[in-house]
Amino acid sequence: MKCVEFESVLPDYLEGSHSAEQQAHVRSCPACSSLLDDLKLISAQAKLLLASDDPSPAVWNALEGKLRREGLIRRPESPRPGFLLRWRTAWLVPVAAGLLIAAGLKLRHPMNAGDTQPPARPAPAAVAKPMSSEDQQLLTSVGSHVPAQRARYRANLDDANSFIRDAEQSARDYPNDIYTQQMLMSAYEQKQMLYDLAVERTAPEMGEQ
Amino acid sequence: MSTTRYAATAVTVLALAGTGFSAGDLRKELHFRVGKHPTISINNPYGPVRVRAGVVHQVEVVATLHSDKVELDQSQSRNRISLVSHLLPGADAATGMVEFEVLIPPEANLTLHSDSGPLHAEKLRGDVVMEGSNAPIEVIDFGEGHVHVHTLNGTVKLTNVHNGHVEVVSMYGDVVLNAVSGPVVTVNSNSGRIEYDGDFGNEGEYDFTSHTGTIEAVAPAYASIDVLARSTQGRVESDFSLEPKHTPFISRSGSAFAGTLGKAASSVRLFSFSGKIHLKKRQD
Repeated sequence: MKCVEFESVLPDYLEGSHSAEQQAHVRSCPACSSLLDDLKLISAQAKLLLASDDPSPAVWNALEGKLRREGLIRRPESPRPGFLLRWRTAWLVPVAAGLLIAAGLKLRHPMNAGDTQPPARPAPAAVAKPMSSEDQQLLTSVGSHVPAQRARYRANLDDANSFIRDAEQSARDYPNDIYTQQMLMSAYEQKQMLYDLAVERTAPEMGEQ
Repeated sequence: MSTTRYAATAVTVLALAGTGFSAGDLRKELHFRVGKHPTISINNPYGPVRVRAGVVHQVEVVATLHSDKVELDQSQSRNRISLVSHLLPGADAATGMVEFEVLIPPEANLTLHSDSGPLHAEKLRGDVVMEGSNAPIEVIDFGEGHVHVHTLNGTVKLTNVHNGHVEVVSMYGDVVLNAVSGPVVTVNSNSGRIEYDGDFGNEGEYDFTSHTGTIEAVAPAYASIDVLARSTQGRVESDFSLEPKHTPFISRSGSAFAGTLGKAASSVRLFSFSGKIHLKKRQD
């Protein structure tokens, strides 16, 4: 079994559906084993945070469905270089964490009955925050393949991250509002698209020999 | 069609080199025989790709290469055709440009990638995926299939698209939907403008989301919709007198509205973080 094949069955695996082949792959593949450990940890931590109010299956199904729909867990249509796949997989963890934290916030901080005003919220930060290591890695890869595109991707990432920050803030301000959760999903979908296009843009067939 | 025959047709690819338009241009004509529902993928970093419906079982390609810094890679595996503009060392946006004119079976599935584009698809009924960094993207007279568009800066224009699943994700490019309806129509933009002019038909779900961009939706007076619109920091307006409905969120005047029109057959969700939202009534 290949890593991409294992990634395609990861949600089922996390739910306890294991085949001998899948278990053998986990035992033999450090990358997938590590990914599995990370996702189990995130899942366990999220559940601990919500010990008194376990999320409904609909929440987990929605998250899984979103990850599938956004292509975060799927088999790529065409083979890609190994390092890109590992890089993409590595990015899955913070995205999954973000989505889980968003769901966690929704259930950890229910708005009190009778509340009519949302909490005061500071204006969005005007200055972009430092980039994550994954974003830096993306820019480095884009810059090395297509130097002229680096600045544009930097701007794209800044704007996608800005949307994520605003949506996360809204999710904290309005924890019972399902539409703020959807906006956060949309923000992550934009970032996912940036990563997808960057991976395709830096694939070897695009200008490399 | 038997496997043997498929294999035979797979290798029946005629590549004819024609005359160039100018000294550096090379025109190539390719013909492929395919089944009824082939999958065609074209990856053209620099240059336009125009795809239109032709006849069943035939894929016809005219590619114009603008220099010897780019080659055309082609492959056919049974019902799947792949065309790639292969940039050679030193190629740039000018020397790497290839222009595609393509005719495909109406029910073919199509995937187009381009950095600069533009990308154009017309009169198709299969699934269409179009991706481009800066490429303007246009889909006209489309039905039944899925339309997935991903772009960073290119404008997206969908016209007369019906009964399909439409999904557009854009960073900066404006997204313009004219006479677009279907069971699922979603547009997700960062700062580009989202414009919709249609009837919100098909008992569909229409979700338009933007971070900072404006959302403007124009609907007829007879529209049958259940509307929810909200901008966290921007203004929202509606020309319609909506039948009030309960909202699951705290609504501040001028920043959100919700209500129904007619029998509320379709769901319309308009969300922006700081952009303006305007639901307009079409003036006939």
